[in-house]
Amino acid sequence: MRLTDRRFALLLMAPAAAFLALFVAYPLLRLVYDSFFRISPVAGGPREFVGLANYAAAFASEAFMGAGWRTLVYTLVVVTAEFALGLAMALVFAALGRRAQVFRTVFLYPLMIAPIVAGLLWKFLMIDNFGLLGALLAQAGILSDPNQIGWLSDPGIVLYSVAIPDVWLTTSFMCLVLFAGLQNVPGDLLEAARLDGARPTVLLFRIILPLLRPVIAVALVVRGIDAARAFDTILIQTNGGPQSASEVMSLLVYRTMVRFGDPGLASAMGTVYLVAMLAVAVVALATIWRPGKDT
Amino acid sequence: MTLAPSLRRTEAGPTRKAAAGVVRRASRTAEAGGLEARRRGTRVILWTALAAALVLYGFPFLYLILTSFKTPSETIAVPPTLLPTTWTLENYAGALGRPGVLASFVNSLQTAVVSTLLSLVLAVPAAYAVTRFKTPAGSVFVLASLVTRMVPPVAVGLPLASMLGSVGLADTPVGLAIAHTTVSLPLSIWLMCSFLDAVPRDLEEAALVDGCSRLGALWKVVIPVVSGGVSVTAIFAFLASWNEFLFALLLTAVRSQTTPVVIANFQTQFGLDWGPMTALAAVYSIPVVLLTLFLQRRIVAGMTLGAVKG
Repeated sequence: MRLTDRRFALLLMAPAAAFLALFVAYPLLRLVYDSFFRISPVAGGPREFVGLANYAAAFASEAFMGAGWRTLVYTLVVVTAEFALGLAMALVFAALGRRAQVFRTVFLYPLMIAPIVAGLLWKFLMIDNFGLLGALLAQAGILSDPNQIGWLSDPGIVLYSVAIPDVWLTTSFMCLVLFAGLQNVPGDLLEAARLDGARPTVLLFRIILPLLRPVIAVALVVRGIDAARAFDTILIQTNGGPQSASEVMSLLVYRTMVRFGDPGLASAMGTVYLVAMLAVAVVALATIWRPGKDT
Repeated sequence: MTLAPSLRRTEAGPTRKAAAGVVRRASRTAEAGGLEARRRGTRVILWTALAAALVLYGFPFLYLILTSFKTPSETIAVPPTLLPTTWTLENYAGALGRPGVLASFVNSLQTAVVSTLLSLVLAVPAAYAVTRFKTPAGSVFVLASLVTRMVPPVAVGLPLASMLGSVGLADTPVGLAIAHTTVSLPLSIWLMCSFLDAVPRDLEEAALVDGCSRLGALWKVVIPVVSGGVSVTAIFAFLASWNEFLFALLLTAVRSQTTPVVIANFQTQFGLDWGPMTALAAVYSIPVVLLTLFLQRRIVAGMTLGAVKG
């Protein structure tokens, strides 16, 4: 008996679909379900239905609201920095042409490094007392004392410091995507504009950036979602400290579960986090991604 | 080369596809567009900027490696030194000799291999079905797997930990590999879709006419043609697992801990033991960094295969 093409296609997709349903969709449903219970952290311990109490507790807690806010700020900082640096590098590469090709490869390497290692090595550069960053800046005369800036110990700036490894890790991604986009900017268009006497800034803002818009949109969304889920680099650098000043949402959910042993509350926080992320993702996908099109 | 970024555990697919399309077109229109700087002065400034950027980019990792060759007291010397005054392998011996460290390498490798195989076995047929038979179910499936890539891992990780625990997969490489596959499978599906898109239908149609079954055509005709794409996908799936930390932290205890967790644990368990920590981080990253060059060629090969055939 011969299957119809449609059946055959379904059959080929079924294992992957089943896997995602079982190991992604089902756990997420459980997360939502658990958020309505007060649960003992001991495995198999008692659970009690408490309705929306966990949500009330989450929204009433300063930690949760603070983490939400910090996640937003962190995301904006990371994405803005990466975009500015990535675009600058992409323009440099494009301007240098073929001869800079080898260096594009070198620029790729942080993408291969584990975020945990990146966090570790930047922590080592920024740490108080024996951190190299402060020492170098002091030697250059920018700081009067190597410890003048407590990169990772000053609650006022720590959220920006912990973003550095993330920027370092993935600016290459931004750069590569934008570079690829730049390859698609028609040369004769630029040539014509140049002959008309357009200045470089006009070229950039009036021609290049508008043409790159679809690529930029995708890159920003992808990196934004990524940054909003940051965990590894921050955990290893500060574990959310000092005074929770770098505690973003992933970290808070993790700590609520593991450190404070409150699965119910952690699930409620996780659910809010999940819903917020999915809302952003769906809106982003709906606006920028159309099936069957290349861009 | 625009594929490379996709290996970061979190990127969703659209960019990659957008970029792939862009590159494909660009490779034909030649690189020397209207963007190239003509004036000598400008070029000198740009080369200087590039050199500065490369130093900033390369230095942190280089410093990590240099530090790993310092003596323990020099590691935390004030002011810090750039080059080790005495070169020593002490940190490497110390880090690798610690109980559980070598085992963690085995765990990392096992987990990554199992997760890669699982991703490929599930993704290749699914992507084939999506690209060949454009059914509504296929579109829904691709969209769903894209959305999956936007879920915060911590939201999946917590319930997954108790799920795997209740079926006896807690603290096993297989359990962790399953968790890693939740990340790499959507990525693999996405990658394979665009590689398979580039394979002409005539090939399988010829095979089908010759009496080959549809599954046979996939296995004997399509997969060999797209093997470059499969290996690129495999590399990304492998790296996603190799570098993953959060699931590893949530799902493993001592027995099947992977190296990233061990690196992080150096911090608490042994105080701030920077020397061995940097040594271990270097050992774990160097193979991957060296692979970058090799990967680059492989990926470009995969891309051009797609471009030529498409």
